[in-house]
Amino acid sequence: MTEASEIRVRHWLLAAPALSLIGLFLLIPYINIGIMSFRTPSTTAPYGPGYTVANYVHILSDSLYLSLLAETLLFATVTTAVCLLMAFPVAFHLARTTSRWRGLLYAGVLSPLLTGVVIRCFGWIVLLANNGLVNQALGTVGLGPFQLMYNATGVTIALVHVFLPFMILPLMTAIQSIDPHWEEAARTLGAPRTRVFQRIVLPLILPGLQSGVILVFVLAASAYVIPMLLGGGRVQTLPTVIFQQLMGGLLWPFGAALALTLSFAVLASIWAFVFLGRKRMRGLA
Amino acid sequence: MSRLSIQALTKCYAGAAAVANIDLDVAEGEFVSLLGPSGCGKTTTLRCVAGLETPTSGKVLFGDRDVTRVPPERRRIGMVFQNYALFPHMTIRENIGFGLEMRGVRGSEANKRISSVLDMVQLTGFEDRWPRQLSGGQQQRVALARALIVEPAVLLLDEPLANLDAKLRDEMRFFIRALQQRIGITTLYVTHDQAESMALSDRIVVMFAGRIHQTGTPQHIYDRPATKQVAKFIGQANLIAGKVVHRCNEVATVDTSVGRLLCATNCAVEPGTPATAMVRPEAMQLVKECSPNAFPGRIMERHFLGNIVDYRVATADGTVLAIQALGSIVHDAGEVVSVQIDPKKAWLLE
Repeated sequence: MTEASEIRVRHWLLAAPALSLIGLFLLIPYINIGIMSFRTPSTTAPYGPGYTVANYVHILSDSLYLSLLAETLLFATVTTAVCLLMAFPVAFHLARTTSRWRGLLYAGVLSPLLTGVVIRCFGWIVLLANNGLVNQALGTVGLGPFQLMYNATGVTIALVHVFLPFMILPLMTAIQSIDPHWEEAARTLGAPRTRVFQRIVLPLILPGLQSGVILVFVLAASAYVIPMLLGGGRVQTLPTVIFQQLMGGLLWPFGAALALTLSFAVLASIWAFVFLGRKRMRGLA
Repeated sequence: MSRLSIQALTKCYAGAAAVANIDLDVAEGEFVSLLGPSGCGKTTTLRCVAGLETPTSGKVLFGDRDVTRVPPERRRIGMVFQNYALFPHMTIRENIGFGLEMRGVRGSEANKRISSVLDMVQLTGFEDRWPRQLSGGQQQRVALARALIVEPAVLLLDEPLANLDAKLRDEMRFFIRALQQRIGITTLYVTHDQAESMALSDRIVVMFAGRIHQTGTPQHIYDRPATKQVAKFIGQANLIAGKVVHRCNEVATVDTSVGRLLCATNCAVEPGTPATAMVRPEAMQLVKECSPNAFPGRIMERHFLGNIVDYRVATADGTVLAIQALGSIVHDAGEVVSVQIDPKKAWLLE
């Protein structure tokens, strides 16, 4: 064996545990779902005999499922955008602050991850219900009550809350890697603050921004518990519908096809996003 | 190009003054260094001139233009940072062209000026490289080119050589000085390295704890330091405590622990006041016999450094003096000698 190939073998050996884990728990199930999505439905078994493309034809020809897909992606997009807007100032402050409360702030950012998603949803229900805390507070000044739950607003609020840390953390890391001298140098060279942000800060945090956006987008598009609990059955996204197909309707092949359609759509969205950002990221290796 | 005036500049952080009531005038085309130990306020002063810090009180003027409240982007300055601060996501061309881009200079005009400054810093052909592909010295020259391309009124340099190795530092020192002379740009240079400031500057401003202790030419600051701190910070200094016994014009007679010394002075010290005599190591000579303005001592240590010999000489009362002599005449450790001080080069400090 040559030295180079020996090194290559060693690299593969190092990657082997991770690769087998991915193979076992991701790839095989995915293949399984892929095969399932081409099966025929059955009421007595998970699927019937033979193969068919009817499931996909059904999804792509039924405006109900296409609009559900669009709505799911819209939820994910809005959640991502709101997260981005809210995360930016926090991330910037956390990255640059020298305050002794920094540790506490950091813990605060991570806090949504410390409790289970169901508990958090119930927390939001207590706050957002028609007679919840928010409406009660608004009521004392003569406003409302507003419908904050069982609709898109409530679902978006909870999605943002839960996924905000996934935006803040990569952004913070990216901002920390910016030397404040770069911004100062740009100022001395004639760039006002807005131009400094546009030409120095933004391009340099783009990799972090990209990972944050991808994380939140994927998580929000595949969220099930939040739309379920805060939507109260009145908000439908693809994940909730998939769950109904699998558990309620026992339509496993159709559910599998829906799941793969969603995966593909999310993947395509991310690819488009990365492709658009690619040119701006040159030289940032 | 313009004159730079700093008037009664004060900058406080959380109530403590980092810079306290500083006045400084830099003439058109002059090269002035702010020299002092870290934390003396020299960088804060520079940053106030750049507009990166807002003074608590006082004024900064470029020529007659009061820029105290003008943001850095409208001050027409060029600044070089200690770590060069080249933009990592831009090529050398884009880095250097950044100031032009901000001023709306584009196309062939921009390219022409970029080529010309690259030529000036001897980096022609590096246009399309990335900053991380360049050595420290090359990055430094790019930073200089980037600052100079916009033809700033004032050039500000913040410890630009601190991150370079010793050999390159010497080269860059000559390079910066030659470039500054050629363009004739008003320059304010911050450093903690006294050799650097001496080699580069027309005038040096020595700062301690937010205050200016002395402003003067390198020679003047070396020979006639204003305070003990300046004497100790610039080069090596023997400080011998004593009491003034007599003063006649610019010569004072001082009784010190090592003996009676004649010192040059420019202040009207009264006989009886305590004072310190400052003598540079090379202003003392080792002689065999007793002579005027000399006292006996014994050589404790001797270090041969090639061009010079470093001695440690103990006097009768135990004071240890640092003395440097040219390399040819060598005394041995343990030898009893007479230390002769050139009265013109001994300097009286209060």
